[in-house]
Amino acid sequence: MSAEERAVLRLAQPPLLRFLPGLGLGLLSALCSVALLATSAWLITRASEHPPILYLSAAIVGVRAFALGRAGFRYAERLASHSAAFRQLGQLRVGVYTKLEPLLPDGLGTGTRGDLMTRMVADVDRLPDLPLRVVQPIVVAVVTAAVSVVGVTILLPAAGLALLISLVLGFVIATLVHSAVSSRAERAIAPLRGRLADLILETVSSLDVLIAFDAIGERLDAIDAADRAVTGATRRRALGAGATSAALAGLSGLATVIALWIAIPAAASGAIAAPTLAVIALIPLAVFDVMGGAPLAVSAWRQVRVSAQRVADVAEHAPVSRPVVTTSAPARGHHPVVELRDVAVRWPGARHDTVRGFSLALEAGDRVHIAGTTGAGKTTLAHALVGFLPYRGSYTILGNEVAGLPENDVRRVVGLCEQSPYLFDSDLRQNLLLARDTATDAELLVMLDRVGLAEWADSRNGLDTMLGDGGSLVSGGQAQRIALARALLADFPVVVFDEPTANVEEELAGQLMSDILSTVADDDRVVIVISHTAIDPALVTRTVQLTPATITA
Amino acid sequence: MKPLDPRLLRYARSSATFLVLATVLGLIRTACTIAFCWLLAQGISDAVRGRPLVSTIALLVVVVAVRAGAVWATDAAAAAGAAKVKSQLRRRFMTAIAALGPSWLGRRNRAEVATTAVDGLEALDGYFALFLPQLVLTVVSTPLIVVMMFTQDALSGIIVIATLPLIPVFMILIGWATQAAQQRQWTTLTHLSGRFLDVVNGLATLKIFGREKRQESRLAAVTEDYRSATMKVLRLSFLSGFALELIATLSVALVAVSIGLRLVNGSLGLEVGLFVLLLAPEAFLPVRLVGANYHAAADGVAAATDVFAILDEAQGDQRSAPITSSARLHEVEVVVDDLTVLLSERTVLDHLSFTARPFELTVLAGPSGAGKSTVLAAMLGFAGYDGAVTGGGRALTRDAIAWSRQRPVLVTGSVADNVALGDPARDALMILRALDLAGAADLDPARRLDARAEGLSGGQAERVSIARAIYRCLTRDCPVILLDEPSAALDSATEARLVEGLRQLAAEGRTVIVTSHRSAVIGAADSVIELKERADVR
Repeated sequence: MSAEERAVLRLAQPPLLRFLPGLGLGLLSALCSVALLATSAWLITRASEHPPILYLSAAIVGVRAFALGRAGFRYAERLASHSAAFRQLGQLRVGVYTKLEPLLPDGLGTGTRGDLMTRMVADVDRLPDLPLRVVQPIVVAVVTAAVSVVGVTILLPAAGLALLISLVLGFVIATLVHSAVSSRAERAIAPLRGRLADLILETVSSLDVLIAFDAIGERLDAIDAADRAVTGATRRRALGAGATSAALAGLSGLATVIALWIAIPAAASGAIAAPTLAVIALIPLAVFDVMGGAPLAVSAWRQVRVSAQRVADVAEHAPVSRPVVTTSAPARGHHPVVELRDVAVRWPGARHDTVRGFSLALEAGDRVHIAGTTGAGKTTLAHALVGFLPYRGSYTILGNEVAGLPENDVRRVVGLCEQSPYLFDSDLRQNLLLARDTATDAELLVMLDRVGLAEWADSRNGLDTMLGDGGSLVSGGQAQRIALARALLADFPVVVFDEPTANVEEELAGQLMSDILSTVADDDRVVIVISHTAIDPALVTRTVQLTPATITA
Repeated sequence: MKPLDPRLLRYARSSATFLVLATVLGLIRTACTIAFCWLLAQGISDAVRGRPLVSTIALLVVVVAVRAGAVWATDAAAAAGAAKVKSQLRRRFMTAIAALGPSWLGRRNRAEVATTAVDGLEALDGYFALFLPQLVLTVVSTPLIVVMMFTQDALSGIIVIATLPLIPVFMILIGWATQAAQQRQWTTLTHLSGRFLDVVNGLATLKIFGREKRQESRLAAVTEDYRSATMKVLRLSFLSGFALELIATLSVALVAVSIGLRLVNGSLGLEVGLFVLLLAPEAFLPVRLVGANYHAAADGVAAATDVFAILDEAQGDQRSAPITSSARLHEVEVVVDDLTVLLSERTVLDHLSFTARPFELTVLAGPSGAGKSTVLAAMLGFAGYDGAVTGGGRALTRDAIAWSRQRPVLVTGSVADNVALGDPARDALMILRALDLAGAADLDPARRLDARAEGLSGGQAERVSIARAIYRCLTRDCPVILLDEPSAALDSATEARLVEGLRQLAAEGRTVIVTSHRSAVIGAADSVIELKERADVR
């Protein structure tokens, strides 16, 4: 287990003080159920000796109290432990966020897709299972077993020893053997299941081609074969896993038989009374009942570990290294607002530069179109400009080398409108206030009017319009315009637009592009539009070609 | 949730086998439980009276062994049953999807459909392993045990019979009470739980605006809100578990106390008393486990219901059954007459008519969104339409057509696997010729492609897709070849080679129909059909 994984698991486990109430209540509930059976057995056997009823009243009260206690404590335990686990989830999320924040968006390399993040967030949400379904049940089972053994030992030492041995055996089978059998089978099944999933996904996504080429029958047969392999492996595993529960059921019965076997001579010799014999014979049943939860805890533990591992894997990436450059004193005299000289950019983990030998100088008021084909490194350049990616060569803002500036200072000057701007699942107002939280509603409405969204917002719910999960309720063009409004609100002196028309229908793209350029055209704001489509030369001051760096060996 | 959906038995026959097996094993387990309790009670009371009991203990060992065997068999049967049912459902599901076809799939989220077939069905494991055996036990075992208690001690039997029905009644009452509250909380809950994902996914945007450091306190606050909202729901939903447990244990306690009191006055024997005491919790056990595993089962049933919905749809839909005809046609004139296509309520094609002749290269031109690909989809039977599409005077069948998609879709395997898709007898020479005609002679047929055709450039993938259509055309003698934007990602030299190949196919008497807006393709055409941009296309 790596240090990072241990750190993630530690974050998931609530501190002792918060964990104890739930644990204590759970223990009380489990002990009540053992005590209920023991007291009932004692009561009935003692009653059969026809004592005065007075001698039984304590046991009668006990039976009723344990019955109430078992259910009541269990209810309280579930509330207390869930509350503690959820409270911990808050700290866990903050902890993971703190680790993740310096790495995103580009520190994980080019493979950072949305689904990786979605999976990681789901993994984090699964981690509260550690206290709830792993630690608590196992601790409760072990302590209940220990208390029962001590109790039986006090009544009859030999029976206590026998119970101890059968419980240890039961625990070993329930946890170690079960885990070994299942994890070996899981290792065999996981690749088979992965293959089946890949086949199905590919079939669904290329269904039209498979049908048009009469290959669908062959493909369904292949899926059947992959499915049979999974089913066969699952069956073999079932035989092994079923053996665990059978062994537990058998041990529980055997422990009872052994207890009876040991207690009978003791009763005959008068060492123990008849009611005590009944208690010794029946306690194993109740304890093994509590022990039955252990295999479930073991499989929950395996799932928690997989989740913790994945979270740790993401968090383990080193932050994007920024080459240390001694900050030269701000150069005097005139300097271009932005100047790039022989800049090369490489993604973390990549073997080749994506952008190489790129130079550009921009003066106040410049509006430049950076053109290039797909794969020429346009987005890479945009991310380097806002400091998401490190660069080699020289990149200065007003004569100051960017590598020597704090990242946030760079982004205070250079703003970016992404290819698909991220919209938060909230209303229009919140999505705009993000850029300038002091803006009033009136200012926001003026801004919406400038970017051509006033009519659209009016037809919806104004600033209260909900944008949906990931902006699912707005079109690509509207999203770009909202992003434009954000950039204007933040009032960046330099704005980079990354393919603003990529997610917009062709018919609307030209209009959007000219709207963007004419809206942003402030007297001295520097605008960089990165786009593979042609732009009306009247809208920009010049066009620069970006060529792919991959032509190198 | 229906505990046992009749469609499960209809769509997956092996689930019936499993139910029979589970019932038999349930009976054996119940018999063992009763025997175990009886022998144990017998043993204890014999021991108390000092009678010899070697035979009782020997019998106990036998019963324990048989019971362990039955437990093992139940577990194994549940896992095997689940695996079998899953694969039966999966096979039917995939067949149904193939029958419903691409036009149906186009209206769905593909990833979701695939998830239903893979992960969704996995959720049935919990249903089979945890829920169904207990449900069967509840039906088989509980009545037997209650009857046994009744015959031994009527009063205990009455106590159990009186309290047992309280469990479902209380659970339903609490379920009703909590449902409204849960529904109210549900929207809040899903919203709150999505916030973390939202913040992580939008981190780049937050950084652009310098907001990334302020999120920590907000995340903590949101999670705290989530906790208090969840706890409100849990306080209610745990109540049903509490009621279940309380009724079961109190009922056992009542039985114990009443037996104890009757033992004191001598109206009941010790072995009967012990026997009934041991049986009482067993009567409640299956019902309790059904309640405890309800959620695992609900997930599985929900997944199965998704699958059933699609299977039902496939049964009702016979329209898009695969079109086949063994008649081999040569030199076919394709006539499109008054073709109108509606896709999700939107008119994509409006009364289009044209004729494409053999020996000719026909080009469908027009702006994007004019419905060029839709014409091809209608010819392939992938889109429902009004009007007629005929080939040589008869309905055009799919086996007369070779087709290449607009955005190429390649499958995992080699380049040759992709070119010879659907042809088990691979003709190596023909593969080379098809690649050559598609202008892809430079591609090695043995080259491996992974799932997303990574390793091939867009232009290479496009040419493999065209070679696939040409291969089918050559090996099956298809008279009609449809190519959708074949040169979108090609440079002009490669495009010229491709156009050369298309002319060659036409010269052999085939009807070649190509959608394109490239001048090199349009220039080589024998006839050009211009599709107009539609006014309501947005």
